[in-house]
Amino acid sequence: MAKPVKRKDFLWMGWGALAAIVGGSGAASTRFLVPNILYEPSQKFNAGPAKDFPFGVSTLWFKQQRVWIIRTSEGIYALWARCTHLGCTPNWFIAENRFKCPCHGSNYNPDGDVLAGPAPKPLWRAQVEVVASGDLIIDKAILENRPGVREKAPFFAEYA
Amino acid sequence: MPLPELSIEKLEKEVYGSQIWKSMFRNWPWQDSTRHRARHIVDNVWLHLHPAKIQPRALRWTFTWGLGGISFLLFLILTISGVLLMFYYRPTVELAYQDMKDLEFAVSFGIILRNMHRWCAHGMVTIVMLHMIRVFLTGSYKKPREFNWAIGVILLKLTLFLSFTGYLLPWDQLAIWAVTVGTNMAAATPIIGNEGPFASLLGMTISNDVRFVLLGGTTVGANTLLRFYVMHCVAVPLVAAALMIVHFWRIRKDTFSAAPITKDEEKVDVWPNLVVREYIAAAGVTAFVFFVSVYVNAPLEEIANPNVTPNPSKAPWYFVGLQELLVYFDPWIAGVLLPGLIIGGLCAIPYLDTNKKGVGYYSWSERPFANAQFMFGITFWFILILIGNSFRGPNYFWYWPWESWLVHKPVAAPTWSFPLPLGVFSLLAYGGLGMTLPRLITADIAWKKATGAFLGFFALVGLWMHFGGDIAAWRVITVGFLLYLTFLFGFLYPQKYLQDLDMPRYIAVQSLVLMQMGVLVKMGLRLGLDVKYILELPQFNLNI
Repeated sequence: MAKPVKRKDFLWMGWGALAAIVGGSGAASTRFLVPNILYEPSQKFNAGPAKDFPFGVSTLWFKQQRVWIIRTSEGIYALWARCTHLGCTPNWFIAENRFKCPCHGSNYNPDGDVLAGPAPKPLWRAQVEVVASGDLIIDKAILENRPGVREKAPFFAEYA
Repeated sequence: MPLPELSIEKLEKEVYGSQIWKSMFRNWPWQDSTRHRARHIVDNVWLHLHPAKIQPRALRWTFTWGLGGISFLLFLILTISGVLLMFYYRPTVELAYQDMKDLEFAVSFGIILRNMHRWCAHGMVTIVMLHMIRVFLTGSYKKPREFNWAIGVILLKLTLFLSFTGYLLPWDQLAIWAVTVGTNMAAATPIIGNEGPFASLLGMTISNDVRFVLLGGTTVGANTLLRFYVMHCVAVPLVAAALMIVHFWRIRKDTFSAAPITKDEEKVDVWPNLVVREYIAAAGVTAFVFFVSVYVNAPLEEIANPNVTPNPSKAPWYFVGLQELLVYFDPWIAGVLLPGLIIGGLCAIPYLDTNKKGVGYYSWSERPFANAQFMFGITFWFILILIGNSFRGPNYFWYWPWESWLVHKPVAAPTWSFPLPLGVFSLLAYGGLGMTLPRLITADIAWKKATGAFLGFFALVGLWMHFGGDIAAWRVITVGFLLYLTFLFGFLYPQKYLQDLDMPRYIAVQSLVLMQMGVLVKMGLRLGLDVKYILELPQFNLNI
């Protein structure tokens, strides 16, 4: 004859099974909330002929693609216009040579470095490439903001 | 033919005495006796929320101000108006904003319903906060009501969360940017947010962290709108309603609004004394809400644009204090740590307060420490709201309320951080001295002498800095004033009133006090001396 199950063991098993079911369901429900497919727009776009961009900060694509395109005598880079503090879009003030964020007052210079305000990191630079046709292709999905790395390809396109 | 004579008494008898009526309401014929008054309450499922008898103190307007009941009334109005709005509103990026416009211009009475929903939401946040202050000042959270206070704190947070999820739904510029900022704060949560400290421990990225789950994507978009809609209309109201039931049930079990002062207080009948007052308050508030909703339209900004942020961009008033804190601290501190500490600290109050006096009535002299610290915190919060609301202009720059936003301001001064050793030393000194000095110095310090000594010392330092170090006087005054408040609430009050508190409670209370005052010190350092961080460890995203 099988041994009778002890009350203590029975309760442990019962509560254990309940905990496993609740925990498992919780984990599965959390996973359920993480979507596997996104229908967000592509982060890559063609900004047009690189030769058309003037020296300095261009706001041509600012309202549509949320980037500033900055051309220097050596080349071109693109700053993603998303404040690294909490994600608002800063504005460009040409007279003061800075970007200023309207949400918490962070200021940046055209390199993307923080001048004032609470932002913890420099602005992100997007991947840029001048293709054979002379068009500037920008990919905002690939980002860099470390000094020393951000000034080199693919985050800086040499272009004279 | 003569008409049959109309007899009210006969009619009453026929209606109230009928089987149908008696099957619904059982207390006819009415007799004006204590027993009947009690049965009115206990035989009715809704009125049974009340006890049959109550202390007369609970009836005084100036004791409860009716705040708990008004909160519940506003929740009911919000539920009804919200359900009606749901008949027209479709939570998609293409349609949501158009439906708001339709409600305003094309739907009969749509604008009034939307106004009611918005103004009641603002009202509920205000009234729930005031209710908390009332309960605190009358010591009504003390034993055996500790847990109900904690539930109340959670209900306050749920009220705020309902507002937060609600204001994404119009899909206007306020909506999208408030939620962008709010969810980016979530991304700054330690460990489970991709921009928070120690995010790399679990390998958090933009597409698997807590923000991704909240948004249902990487930016505020269609998924986010739907998720917030479901949270706002179903999930959060259900949780809030469940907690409200617990909140009401417990207060019903604990002698209702007025905490008992003595065991043998004479009680009065709830019917009609309390019921009449509740009716008057409910009718008055409802009439007021109607009046406001007919004459004042709820704001609706331009349609959401995920690329362009309005300048300045401000949260609704009850979050603008938090927005102001975010100017001084990294997002995970201002957006996650401090709110967490506020919630945890509020919930802990009943378990930390060992003072047995001041239960069931307003008293400052019997609870000087608790009242001073709590009201300081509340005042501080509302000053932050005032600063964010009235002292911030374009680019979130400091503009006085009387200044035009067209005035040209000099560019924001560059900020600087303490070198690492000085930062570590400052934090250790603040924490160490702040925790030990109030207990080590046992002498009786006179308020006036201490204040005079502090102000005198600081005036000397200020003069030296002003003339020797060439620092503008307003900077010295700003830092000095905030340091004085820190000295007063962080040292003098604990030194006077926490000498006899047991050690675990002392550590908990004084830690909370020091953190509250620390926020003030950091604000002073930023506003007065342009300090960005006291401690800077960018490799861990850990900046204080």
